[in-house]
Amino acid sequence: MSRTDAVTRILFEAFPTAEVRLFYALGYAAIGVFGYGVYVQIRKYRRGAALQLEGSPWSRFTEMVAIVLRHSTVARRDPGAGAAHRLIFYGFVLLFLGTATITLEYDILEPLFGIRFWQGAFYLVFSLILDIAGVALIGGLAFMMVRRGWMRLPKLDYARPDRVPGDPDFDRPHYRREDWAFLWTLLIIGGTGYLLEASRLVWLQARPDVWDSRWWSPVGALIAEGLRAAGLNADGGGLLRHGLWWFHGLLALAFIALIPYTKVKHIFTAAGSLMARDPLAAQRLPRIPEAQEAPGVAKITDFTWKQLLNLDACTKCGRCHEACPARAVGAPLSPRDVILSLREFANATLESGVLPAAAELDVHGKAPGQVAMETLWSCRTCMACVEICPVAVEHVPIIVQLRRKLVEDGAMDPLLTKTLQTIHKTGNSFGESKRKRGSWSKSLPFKVKDARKEPVEVLWFVGDYASFDPRNQKVSQIFAELLHEAQVDFGILFDGESNAGNDVRRVGEEGLYEVLVNANVAALQGASFKTIVTTDPHSYNTIRNEYPDFGAKYPIEHYTSFVKRLFDSGKLKVNQPLKYRTTFHDPCHLGRFNKGYEAPREVLKLLGCEIVEMGRSRANSFCCGAGGGRIWIPDPVGAEKPAQNRIKEAAAIPGLEVYVVSCPKDLTMFEDALKTTGNEGKFVVKELIELMREAIPAARTEEAYA
Amino acid sequence: MSGVLIVAEQRRGELRPVSLELISAAQGLRRAGDEVAVALLTTAPERYIDALKLAGVDEIITVKVRAAEFDPDTFESAIGALIAERHPEVVLVAHSVDSFGYAAALAAKLGLGFATDVFKMERIEGELVATRGGYGQKVNVEVDFPGRSTVLLALRGNVFKPPEAAASPKVSAFAAPAAASRSMAREFIELSAGDDIDMTAAEFILSIGRGIGEEAKVAQFRELADAVGATLGCSRPIADAGWLPKSRQVGQSGKTASACKLYIAMGVSGAIQHLAGMKHVTTIVAVNSDAEASIFGVAKYGIVGDIFEIAEELRRHF
Amino acid sequence: MKILVAVKQVAALDEDFEIRADGRDVEADFLIRDLNEWDDFSLEEAVKIKEAAAEPIEVIAVCVGPEEVDESLRKCLAKGADRAIRVWDAAIEGSDPIAIARVLAAVAKSEAPAMLFAGVQSSDHSFASTGIATAAILGWPHAAVVSSLDYTPGAKSAVFRRELEGGLLHEVEIQCPAVLTIQLGINTPRYASLRSIKQAAAKPIEVRSLADLGLSAGDVGEAGSLSRVRRMYLPDKGRAQLIEGDAAQQAKRLADIIREFKGAAA
Repeated sequence: MSRTDAVTRILFEAFPTAEVRLFYALGYAAIGVFGYGVYVQIRKYRRGAALQLEGSPWSRFTEMVAIVLRHSTVARRDPGAGAAHRLIFYGFVLLFLGTATITLEYDILEPLFGIRFWQGAFYLVFSLILDIAGVALIGGLAFMMVRRGWMRLPKLDYARPDRVPGDPDFDRPHYRREDWAFLWTLLIIGGTGYLLEASRLVWLQARPDVWDSRWWSPVGALIAEGLRAAGLNADGGGLLRHGLWWFHGLLALAFIALIPYTKVKHIFTAAGSLMARDPLAAQRLPRIPEAQEAPGVAKITDFTWKQLLNLDACTKCGRCHEACPARAVGAPLSPRDVILSLREFANATLESGVLPAAAELDVHGKAPGQVAMETLWSCRTCMACVEICPVAVEHVPIIVQLRRKLVEDGAMDPLLTKTLQTIHKTGNSFGESKRKRGSWSKSLPFKVKDARKEPVEVLWFVGDYASFDPRNQKVSQIFAELLHEAQVDFGILFDGESNAGNDVRRVGEEGLYEVLVNANVAALQGASFKTIVTTDPHSYNTIRNEYPDFGAKYPIEHYTSFVKRLFDSGKLKVNQPLKYRTTFHDPCHLGRFNKGYEAPREVLKLLGCEIVEMGRSRANSFCCGAGGGRIWIPDPVGAEKPAQNRIKEAAAIPGLEVYVVSCPKDLTMFEDALKTTGNEGKFVVKELIELMREAIPAARTEEAYA
Repeated sequence: MSGVLIVAEQRRGELRPVSLELISAAQGLRRAGDEVAVALLTTAPERYIDALKLAGVDEIITVKVRAAEFDPDTFESAIGALIAERHPEVVLVAHSVDSFGYAAALAAKLGLGFATDVFKMERIEGELVATRGGYGQKVNVEVDFPGRSTVLLALRGNVFKPPEAAASPKVSAFAAPAAASRSMAREFIELSAGDDIDMTAAEFILSIGRGIGEEAKVAQFRELADAVGATLGCSRPIADAGWLPKSRQVGQSGKTASACKLYIAMGVSGAIQHLAGMKHVTTIVAVNSDAEASIFGVAKYGIVGDIFEIAEELRRHF
Repeated sequence: MKILVAVKQVAALDEDFEIRADGRDVEADFLIRDLNEWDDFSLEEAVKIKEAAAEPIEVIAVCVGPEEVDESLRKCLAKGADRAIRVWDAAIEGSDPIAIARVLAAVAKSEAPAMLFAGVQSSDHSFASTGIATAAILGWPHAAVVSSLDYTPGAKSAVFRRELEGGLLHEVEIQCPAVLTIQLGINTPRYASLRSIKQAAAKPIEVRSLADLGLSAGDVGEAGSLSRVRRMYLPDKGRAQLIEGDAAQQAKRLADIIREFKGAAA
């Protein structure tokens, strides 16, 4: 059975046939257990609702492989974890491939075709690579253990804001046990692997082909030297090897068998989740399918198979928990715990042979695994959770679909109910008559074109706040002046414009959203224009990303990129550079949602301002707290608001003069927070448009009106 | 048909002041020879005779009925019979919770000319014309009653001033026919005061309304009221939402600011029910961001602006 | 068993409204229509009674008006009404609350409900008359300004509280069937999602004519009313003396007014 004309390792050397057979039997048993586990998981996903993914499966697969190989999503904002996980991942993959290679030859190629390659130089290099892989694996694991055990990271704290002490699922010790079991098991498998290697070397030290080439397995060789120094002889080595072989083998087989039943399954579920991801998950919410009877998610089986897969992909990394603005101010919401609760619920109900009765599948409530109303209403739909998740869990659509059910049942704060009724009646959240929508423009020294009546090049979609809120009306007036001075041919829809619906949709009132879309599209279709510009990021997001689902695709940009082009082409010129020290707050719906980070900064620089970034900026910008309909829901008395949290972050910038925003809701929330945090007088909150006015003083406008 | 018949109101042993306003209102309708009679229905109506001996009253009619407190069937039956006997040209009642319970029924049954919440009455070319509000009190509406020999009008409170001088009207008793009543009055219930505040005694009130937006903002105004030395009051939506106790509510179904001399209304739009409780105050200052708010119609001074900014600035002075 | 709820679609004035040429009403173009705020509460009270009842109860919303009031009736269907009835005839134009009451009473006679609810008043013209006038025409016991109600369908009597001036309540027991006018705040009206309103559009609205109800043109319109609108006009607004300036200046003036008052009071 052994041919030693080239250096190699003889498998099962000196094992009695019975033991080999036993090993294979256990191997098949492990595969069987593994297979059954996979079957249960797939059966669970299939119990969810159907979903058709866009795009070709092949391109999804290749993209997923690229993401996984780059490990970019794991390294974002946590380079330490990124580096350690890369080590673990590559170490594990190499070791796995190594075993697979051996199996390929030993069980398939050699017996069937007589091909042998695992020998000689190949074998030696192979051994070296695997030894290094093992070091990587163990090194990565060791770092993770230190990170988990000693670094006391807030995101790894399993305390949950959506339960109180005394609730049956408040404390989750089994999470911690599983985390540590996973780390230790892999570590022991890796460690025993080296010990095994070393003990084999000691056992076969008399054989020159083994002993002379031992430094191709450097770690094993080092340990072998140590064992020999400790007095282990060849026979002892042989015994140790035999014992360790079985220990290591059984542990590894058990590990593989249990993959579908433990956290280890994230290897597959994360890959699956990444493959199924929707890069526009939070920016473009799903419509309610025609066939669907009741809107939203009421039962666990109302979730799609992809959402159920999302629940399993979560590795409890805690990044969404850390990023969430609601959680940061003590609201009873942690995106992580929404996912984990639902996961436990899905496992408890969908993994049994017989599907439980419908009444037991209700995910709303306060029982273990359910999601409470207060949790769902705390969400700002800012998508910080979706954006940072390394395994593409899409929390926001899950929360919105749960909200749809609450809205249908009328389970909302009375102020929110009133606002929705007001929007239905008047088309705006202020309750003002439609006719007053364009009133802010009446005081301007020129007439703003009515885009319903005459063709314009640029249709300016103003939005509710910029039309009706007195503070924001001032900004609208300035913007109109600037456009006029730049000789832009623009117009607005006056009464034809309604609330664009972004937040109504995110509240979960899909019916009202459709009414608003229809009204706006009717107005837009009746107008003649080349492009749409908006000063409201919320309107920008929904018209850009969601209106096309209703058959209405229009070119639209946020004013910041439009204005940048006006500067570039000389239509607007800065003649009084501002020397302010500023910081820029990326609005959620412009920045994180639509990657519009650079244009506002470029404009600020053009205005002559110095920009000092806050710690949480660009994709990691911290929501002002108004999104998701929260501007229509009163905050709990006495609690910190996200806007206050954010202003305090800005206040830490020494010498800060201006906090710059480019969203009407941001302006409202932050001016309020400036006062309530006691920072009034230290710096001011200004819309970028207002700074533009300062840098392009009105004296110049005399010429424009001449 | 001639003369004016007034139905006074009493509750829990007290004559309701609005009854006296009806007396003044009636004087403008007098034609030569017309008499103004005031009727009062209760178990012991004689108790109220002295209170009704006022200038402008020609006759006090006591109507003894089986119900001590207001009862619709009793009132409709007794007043119906009184109208049938006396044939007045005009019957005046207050536009009050009691009259909500019977006036329209009485008018419908007897085919009387009928209008409610009337704040002006006049004769135009001999015809009786009443003026009331329309479209949320944003317009005035003049109505008349062609072909109706008797007209029943429910008058808005706090419009007419009660008479001051005394007089000696004649007193008569009217035997109302026995009537079966289909409702039975039980007890009166005072809403728990909440914080024992007596809005009716406060001389300086600062009221907040829907304009404050959310409960968290109440604290700022409570603090402001304390600082300026005013009693904090509110309009109905604030009390209904539970942000302030009901005892703080000023208005028709809340308290009347009877003793108030200075009333600052912040974020209060001026719905008619709220005005009912405070529009009589000598000095009213309205602060509201809506220049069209009805409150500016009754206020002496108005500030169109952001109530939070004004509140903050005002706080600095105290 | 049925509960009949009489509802009204009220009109609010839009910006810059104009009075009609004949001077008797506002130009229809400037009227914004919606379900009367009080009717949200009376409908909710009926639906609550239905949901708590042991036997099946049918809640019927009835409205007197032209086709445009269907929108408000749909809202009622979405909020839990089982049926909706609309009555209209050109002759009804110009009716006062008593003429409308005559129509409602005819509907009540034909449906024979166990109770009839209406709102205390409507937010546009605030007559506070229609419900009680309907009771008189029906000859039913009646009460106004009900702020809490204890009623079991089919019972011979109900106990309720009327909300008096000054925050006082009066508890009364009344024989049933009765007409009650319901006050704001008696309950928390449920939200009708746009989807449920859309779905309610599938439910039919029964349209009745005067003839169906055994009424003639003389029973309604001006002929059937107890008052007639002569003219409608814009009142002279008592104008407050506006304090000008920025917030700081306005607040200063207000502070002065306060100090003056306190000084005088001292």
